[in-house]
Amino acid sequence: MAAGFTLSAADRERSANAQVTNQPSLKVDFNPRQPESVGVGVYNLDPDFVVSLSRYTQAGGLLTSILRVTVVRTGAPIGDNLPDVFGRYEVLGDGVRFDPHFPFERGLSYRASFDPRPFGRPELSEVLTLEFSLPREQNALPPEVNRIFPSSDYLPENLLRFYVCFSNSMQSGRVEAEISLLGPDGKPAADVLYRAPVELWDRSMQHLTILLDPGRLKRGVGPNRELGPPLKVGREYTLVVGSGMVDLSGRRLRETFYKRFRVTEAVRKRIAVEQWKIVPPAAKSCKPLVLMFPEPLDWALLSPTITIGSTDEPSVYGRIVVDQCERRWSFTPALPWAAGSYDVRVASSLEDVCGNGVIAAFDRSLQSGSDAYEVARRSIPFRLV
Amino acid sequence: MKTTLASGVQTGIHARRDVLRIAAVSAVGLALSGRAPAASQNAFAGGAGSGPLQSAGVLAFGPDNVLFVGDIRGAAVHAFALRATDLTSQTEVELGNFHNFEGRDLVRGLDQKLAALFGTTYDKIVIHDMVVHQPSQQIFISVERGRSTDALPAIVKVNHGQLEVLELNGIPHSQVGIPNEPDSRAMLEFDTQRSFAITDVKYYNGEIFVTGVSNQQFASTLHRIPYPFSAQMTTCTVEIWHPVHGEFETRAPIIRQLIREVRGEPYLFAVYGCTPLVRFPLASLKDRAHVRGDVIGELGYGSNPIDMLTFTDPFDQKEYLLVTIDVRSASRIAVSDLGTATPEPTGGQIDFGPGGLGKTQGLLPIRAEHTAILNPKWAVVIQRHPKTGYRLDISSLAAPYFFERRDGMSEMNWPDGPDPFHYREHRDEISRGG
Repeated sequence: MAAGFTLSAADRERSANAQVTNQPSLKVDFNPRQPESVGVGVYNLDPDFVVSLSRYTQAGGLLTSILRVTVVRTGAPIGDNLPDVFGRYEVLGDGVRFDPHFPFERGLSYRASFDPRPFGRPELSEVLTLEFSLPREQNALPPEVNRIFPSSDYLPENLLRFYVCFSNSMQSGRVEAEISLLGPDGKPAADVLYRAPVELWDRSMQHLTILLDPGRLKRGVGPNRELGPPLKVGREYTLVVGSGMVDLSGRRLRETFYKRFRVTEAVRKRIAVEQWKIVPPAAKSCKPLVLMFPEPLDWALLSPTITIGSTDEPSVYGRIVVDQCERRWSFTPALPWAAGSYDVRVASSLEDVCGNGVIAAFDRSLQSGSDAYEVARRSIPFRLV
Repeated sequence: MKTTLASGVQTGIHARRDVLRIAAVSAVGLALSGRAPAASQNAFAGGAGSGPLQSAGVLAFGPDNVLFVGDIRGAAVHAFALRATDLTSQTEVELGNFHNFEGRDLVRGLDQKLAALFGTTYDKIVIHDMVVHQPSQQIFISVERGRSTDALPAIVKVNHGQLEVLELNGIPHSQVGIPNEPDSRAMLEFDTQRSFAITDVKYYNGEIFVTGVSNQQFASTLHRIPYPFSAQMTTCTVEIWHPVHGEFETRAPIIRQLIREVRGEPYLFAVYGCTPLVRFPLASLKDRAHVRGDVIGELGYGSNPIDMLTFTDPFDQKEYLLVTIDVRSASRIAVSDLGTATPEPTGGQIDFGPGGLGKTQGLLPIRAEHTAILNPKWAVVIQRHPKTGYRLDISSLAAPYFFERRDGMSEMNWPDGPDPFHYREHRDEISRGG
């Protein structure tokens, strides 16, 4: 937002008249001390009246009944018994202003009113009202689903999660109603998606995590035995993101998004780092270091869990690209590779698309013995000469 | 807020009405620079009304009027040491007729009133949690205006039926970060940030216990943090035997928790989705430990817990655990049984339950979105009005049955119907807080 603004022509005219006639005027304007904050002020008040307003507030009088702001159309079924917009009042040299606790919402109409009648001054017998709204931001396009991870059209029977990536920041609260998984018959498959206690958005509100019910993924457990696994090998399913998902400014998805996929055999083994293929770059180049995985890994976790370290540098700075359906990870350093010894380091929190970790598979029996926690390999050394 | 002159706008003698469109161009700002404030009301220091909060989620009170606020977006737990001026005693508020199971609506149309207060429409209001400050019996609610990156958090309190915004700036404050950003210097082509959705915060004996679920890793992590906050933090992962699933549930997140001493030993009790009740000795929750809890109850499959709290039955004076559940009756279990209950056997057959303490649980007709205990006789709930679904109310609800007679369709509610519980004799016994 720019540092100031102009009023409409009508308001400018009224404002000019006000100066001529010295009548009180009700305006929407920026707070001079907080240029981002838009408030409502009454100006051109008689100095004598301002003094009495000051005395009134010092004696504990509240300006909330004198200068009020309300939402014009609340849509509230309970009717009119609603509080005014809450905010802070200031008595100024020639007026009084109100700044809302939270900024006025764009696109919503507000009504401000100034009612000086309780002060019983004959020249101030008029209630001033003003309806106003701040324009919505115009430029952004309606939201779309950019991508859904895992990218592959073939997903294992024990898939644990999807990431839905939107082009815009979205509003929470609609996931359960709008996102579903259609079974091979084209009807929504019941009890397949996990009802998380909190919708799992990232901070940008552009990336949503959808989990499949872990109770149905684990073999032999109650829901799995009763209902079977959420997905069945060889069948085709569709993840549907309904157009009722809305973005920050209330716009619906441009269209419902469908991700169709066919189910392949379950993957129930830990991530075998020792089976990764590594393509080291040439020393002194800026070429990427490439890792190839036999199975697709979790898109979001691939970024924070794999790092490159050397004897001189605990963590090399660079840029990661994940592609080939999350089976290839390429790392381009910010500075050319120096000769020396390096390590690809894998954090224990890395998972594949089924939630299998570096240490153990997601779905494993804990009754049959201890996990091989210590033997799992977590780094790949390489040397550049 | 007072609205004493509600008729002013409508009856103005010659009210002027303009619709002003504000465009982002520079000009008038300069004309305002000469105005200096002479006095102010409801002053808050910063421009943003949310103080240090980036979001406002779960709430808990600690000792000395400290209000803890879980902040998912800010990846932190905040502690606000409320001052005497931030609290108003509500012990004179009429709560209803305890004998006759008649509560009162303390705030009607809560979401609509919050929307009006924060200058929005009620679809943009999200109520996350409610907690009662026991000494004053004042209700505190965490609220957000907006459902996206524009969401603005606030803490609102109820003062004799009116909603008041807790002015956070100026309240002595400290906070602790919940680690959720992995230490990585590499960047993804386009990034999704990890976030840790805090599901519960509880205080016990100089520490807070924080549970939650990550948007990336499906893991059950529990943070144990000293208060007053220091750099010290204990983080462990927990797992349980889940008889409904017939498996060790290695990753499921704890949804609600509380800490209680049973026979002098402190335990953390937790409920999970689908709904096992689990016991962890506090002493076992050590840093980097991987702890297996004992499942002591299966409250029933296919549901999610909403709130977990304890109350003392005013009739038998015993303490009970209360777990409210989204699609089932709330569960009532004697606290004395929590410590002594035999763990459900591990490695057994699948059991859809109820099991363990779930077999002897009392069922209570609570269908509230949030529940808190107000005093020994009364609870307070946020719930949809049963006959007018558009209304979200804060209402009192009589313990220990949590039954609201006004909502019932019983013959004894009719003016000349039978009166086996002597409702009419006690009709005038209105109780207040205190």
